[in-house]
Amino acid sequence: MNASAHPSVVTLRAENVAKAFVSGRLRTQVLDGLSLSIEAGELTLISGPSGCGKSTLLAILSGLQNVDAGRVLALDSELGQLDRGQLEGFRLRHTGFVFQGFNLFPALNAREQVELPLHYLGLSRERARARAVHSLEEVGLARRMGLKPAELSGGEKQRVAIARALAKRPQLLFADEPTSALDAASGQTIIDILHRIARTHGTTVLCVSHDPRLIGHADRVLAMEDGRILSDRRVSASPAPHLGTPS
Amino acid sequence: MVALARKTLVHEWRRFLPAILAVGFAGLLQLLQAALVLGIFGSASVYITGSAADLWIGYPGTQSVNLGRAIDPNVEARVLMDPAVAKVEPFIWLDADWRGHADTGGESVFVSGIDPQSAGLMFAHALPPALRARLEEPDAVIVDRADIDKLGVAIGGTAAINGHTVRVVGVSSGLRALGGVNVVSSLATARELDTDPADGGRPTYWVASLRDPAQAGAVAARLRGDGAFGPYEVWTAQGFARRSVLYWMLDTGAGAGVLFLAGIVFLVGAVITSQTLVAAVAGSVREYATLNALGVGVGALRWVVLEQAFWVGALGLLGATVLGAVLLALARGQDVPVVLDIPVTLACVVLAMGLAGVSGLAAIRSLRRADPASLLR
Ligand SMILES: Nc1ncnc2c1ncn2[C@@H]1O[C@H](COP(=O)(O)OP(=O)(O)O)[C@@H](O)[C@H]1O
Ligand SMILES: [Mg+2]
Repeated sequence: MNASAHPSVVTLRAENVAKAFVSGRLRTQVLDGLSLSIEAGELTLISGPSGCGKSTLLAILSGLQNVDAGRVLALDSELGQLDRGQLEGFRLRHTGFVFQGFNLFPALNAREQVELPLHYLGLSRERARARAVHSLEEVGLARRMGLKPAELSGGEKQRVAIARALAKRPQLLFADEPTSALDAASGQTIIDILHRIARTHGTTVLCVSHDPRLIGHADRVLAMEDGRILSDRRVSASPAPHLGTPS
Repeated sequence: MVALARKTLVHEWRRFLPAILAVGFAGLLQLLQAALVLGIFGSASVYITGSAADLWIGYPGTQSVNLGRAIDPNVEARVLMDPAVAKVEPFIWLDADWRGHADTGGESVFVSGIDPQSAGLMFAHALPPALRARLEEPDAVIVDRADIDKLGVAIGGTAAINGHTVRVVGVSSGLRALGGVNVVSSLATARELDTDPADGGRPTYWVASLRDPAQAGAVAARLRGDGAFGPYEVWTAQGFARRSVLYWMLDTGAGAGVLFLAGIVFLVGAVITSQTLVAAVAGSVREYATLNALGVGVGALRWVVLEQAFWVGALGLLGATVLGAVLLALARGQDVPVVLDIPVTLACVVLAMGLAGVSGLAAIRSLRRADPASLLR
């Protein structure tokens, strides 16, 4: 229905992945032969009830967990072929994460939170700082950079977490229930920021959530249930991002 | 670089305080113990360290100054033949029995018979010339300020040593003995007090100064090999002092005690410190996991924990140094024998930092719980 202006590029692909958890004598098959592809430059939302396997799928697609069967292709790498160190290197160069909990260091102010991972990318002090400032401006925190987590609201903390992921300039950005700990208004701000990042940076943004209110803010929605994708639809007239559009 | 370890330490100082205190007290305990042991057992060699002699010549096999036996007076001639030797002087050391007028029973004393002239080598550092000159008087003795009450005399008072009447003509400081009381007299007086017929007025030691003290080792080695003048052995002053202190430390079991306490202190300190660091890591485990999700390697995270351990150690040591300096100054003011040298201080620093390091390594293991997959719920 919705013909994109630019040819779509698949950056993330799962082929027949299966994953089961065994606890004691109980075996739970969470994913069974699931395949999907996700494209760059848009916000893809995987939506479904709690316990249906969304987080497991995200962990597998981002290389945080390995599969029992099938393969995962991220950018040009097959994640199953990489060892622990190589996976860390891949994540360092290519991926950003936003979690339900904000996971910010209580001792660091917003700018330092964002700067910290950049040093491990090999950036100089000055460049790391400049990037951190830029990313915080992009999420609308230009005036709160000197504040520590205890002095920020939940929505602001999540925006710091987004800036921390964004400052690495990742090609893949993963968000797991990024709005679940927030009130409705803050949640909307967060999803709009993620949406705008996909549009303006061409980033592949994959968000999983059980919150149906996010559906209207995504470019593409995959409905998941019991470890299977039930439907895959593009939101034809995706609303313009709330926060200022780039000029 | 964002100083994560340091900023966390400052921000959560309450959490880290137990570890800092544990390292500090471990260092302090060890330091004070070492200073006390060195101070107490250092008095075993006060005859050597309080004197200006570079070489000590005594009976072969003597383990400690207080165990000397009379040696042949002719040894002096042999020592003087060496061109490096500037001066040779006899020293008489003897055990004796002191009886004061209060008659509270006998007191065991160690009599040091020295040459009282102002250029004399013996106790050159401990007795000022005016004080030593008073020993020229027959039957004059000097005792340490700290022992005067125990001996039941005052300056100018008299007492009996081995039944011979002596008069206290002055007090010294820093001449406390180990296991008894030091009494200093002239060589002539010491010969009067010596009741052992086997000694026959012979000296217990010859002490020598050299033209160049730096040559002590070489000269001692050169003099050692010659038996023509009767049995004797030559030590450098430093070597003989160490030999005496070591003899006492091993003989009394104090050396083993020091090591034992060092082990206990290390163990208790490490348990407290590592538990504190483990708790600190556990408190930030989700943040560490997030960094790992973003690709910061486990190795880099380990460094953060080790750096934290380092700062805990450094702060603990800083506290220990300040408190230790105050306590040592206080002890000196109270005539408590405390001595610290650089190697022992360094050993205490190494112990404290080692403790912090081991605790850091123990805490690193709890980083295993920083699994980024656990952040997805
Ligand atoms: N580490 C694990 N060990 C055992 N079972 C797990 C583990 N992680 C997830 N599961 C199970 O897998 C199923 C899917 O979990 P998850 O992917 O977290 O669902 P969602 O994110 O959609 O709520 C759940 O039934 C959950 O109990
Ligand atoms: Mg989930």
